[in-house]
Amino acid sequence: MIFDSHEAYKQAGFKPKVCILGSGPAGTTIARKLGAAGIPVVVLEAGSREFSDQSQDFYRGTTVGDFYFDLDVTRLRFMGGSSNHWAGWCRVLDKQDFEPKAWAPDTGWPISRADIEPYLGEVHDILELPAFRPDVPISDDIRWVQLIKSPAVRFAEKFADELDRSRTIAVVLNTYATELAGDGKRVTGARLWSSGQDAGTFTADYFVTCTGGLENSRLLLWSNRRSNGGVVPNAAALGRYWMEHPTFEGGNAILANYGEFEVDASNEAFFSPTPAAMERLQIMNFGIRLIETPYPNVKRLIADLACTAPSMAEWMSDQLEQRLRCAAQLYVAWEQAPLASNHIELSKTDVDHAGVPRIELHWKKSPLERRTLLEGLRLFGTTLAQTNLGRVRIADWIGNGGDYPTNEETAGHHHMGGTRMGTDVSKSVVDANCKVHGMDNLYIGGSSVFCTSGQCNPTTTITALACRLGDHLSKVIAV
Amino acid sequence: MKKMSRRAIVQALLALPAMSLLRSRPAVANSDEIAPDEIAPGAIARDEIIEVNGWILRRSDLA
Repeated sequence: MIFDSHEAYKQAGFKPKVCILGSGPAGTTIARKLGAAGIPVVVLEAGSREFSDQSQDFYRGTTVGDFYFDLDVTRLRFMGGSSNHWAGWCRVLDKQDFEPKAWAPDTGWPISRADIEPYLGEVHDILELPAFRPDVPISDDIRWVQLIKSPAVRFAEKFADELDRSRTIAVVLNTYATELAGDGKRVTGARLWSSGQDAGTFTADYFVTCTGGLENSRLLLWSNRRSNGGVVPNAAALGRYWMEHPTFEGGNAILANYGEFEVDASNEAFFSPTPAAMERLQIMNFGIRLIETPYPNVKRLIADLACTAPSMAEWMSDQLEQRLRCAAQLYVAWEQAPLASNHIELSKTDVDHAGVPRIELHWKKSPLERRTLLEGLRLFGTTLAQTNLGRVRIADWIGNGGDYPTNEETAGHHHMGGTRMGTDVSKSVVDANCKVHGMDNLYIGGSSVFCTSGQCNPTTTITALACRLGDHLSKVIAV
Repeated sequence: MKKMSRRAIVQALLALPAMSLLRSRPAVANSDEIAPDEIAPGAIARDEIIEVNGWILRRSDLA
């Protein structure tokens, strides 16, 4: 069932066991799992069926530190959440991403990759993926990795009919849970805002917040303040260890054979370091995206020249009345070191239309990450030179220690951390089952529970974790 | 013709030997697989990996 307003929902007399906040990939997946288990679940979606400026305005906020995207641009607030602008890249976090790195504090998860692997079959169906393929080492230091360009499932489009037909799932649109109330053991209700006004309190036996990698922290910080710590009793890490995947053009390459590496439909190939190389150099994980432009013959020679002498290449391109660029560009995205100082705060001066303080995001890239960027490109370049597969040129600003450019990709729009998973309550918010420490009926879905980010896009791992949480909750509720 | 900077000319001159090398030699999957009798005297020193003007090269690229 899908209701366009909270008023319409109330008239249906539906009695949910579980209340999920947010209808993005995590919320929708958990709802479908619970619904399939016969558990009545309501999904409260703050936005409507379509994008609107009015809804999006609730996401405005500010960033302190490094340059970052506007917070009302980097995510979407309507049915299906940020899957509506997802590019579709899919890969599960590597096995080693779950393991602690001795050289990077606060790394390591309380679960291993083996804990989510049983759900990858479901993930394939949900995200419409081909089979995952193993990494291919090209040296002791570098491996070719598969990053799947999927059809980029829009969760609302794909599942709207199924949700509308369901008798166990109710999706309620235009209904914003502004805060949760709690007594330090249980969430006792959610305060709602609908149709531009307060809409009373909503109760259910269980609550799952799936409002996104920024908004989960905001909701819980505000809820905790309003209930004097009654929603997240151990809040030292709440909003902290926030992470992104910084992404920049790192240089270019001349390849000896442009058919050497397997590329996808966009002529892109992806490379990451081996665990041994990360350990030896004490760097974080990273992904190098090599984009080939397959020019033939003389055009290729000129394109290669564009890597080294852009002015000369431009002149030659003009003579050919062509616009040729270097035949292989390198983009680097990397894993951020989880730092408590990268965090989400509630604004002291600015609130949204419902009176909830907006986000103030504090985000800076660390020296360890800068070293990861430089050493990562060196590793890749050394591998290509040693194997004679090509030559790499590292961008000047990286080699010279210059500032990060502000006119490039910047990051992946991947919002991770803030309510991270762990066993130490001073450094985490949820346990290995995504249950908030100390609370009996509050769970969190989505990438805000990530302890580390790995180098790959998060949606595949988000969906796998959501399947796992859906199964876990089904078992808890069945007892 | 546009005036080229000295830097661009130097960059091109630096890179041309590498480009020539890439086009005239078959790719070697693993440098360890090169048979000992194929290694000329001094080749090990020449194939040291070096960084020049941002390029990661074999020293022999500059020979």
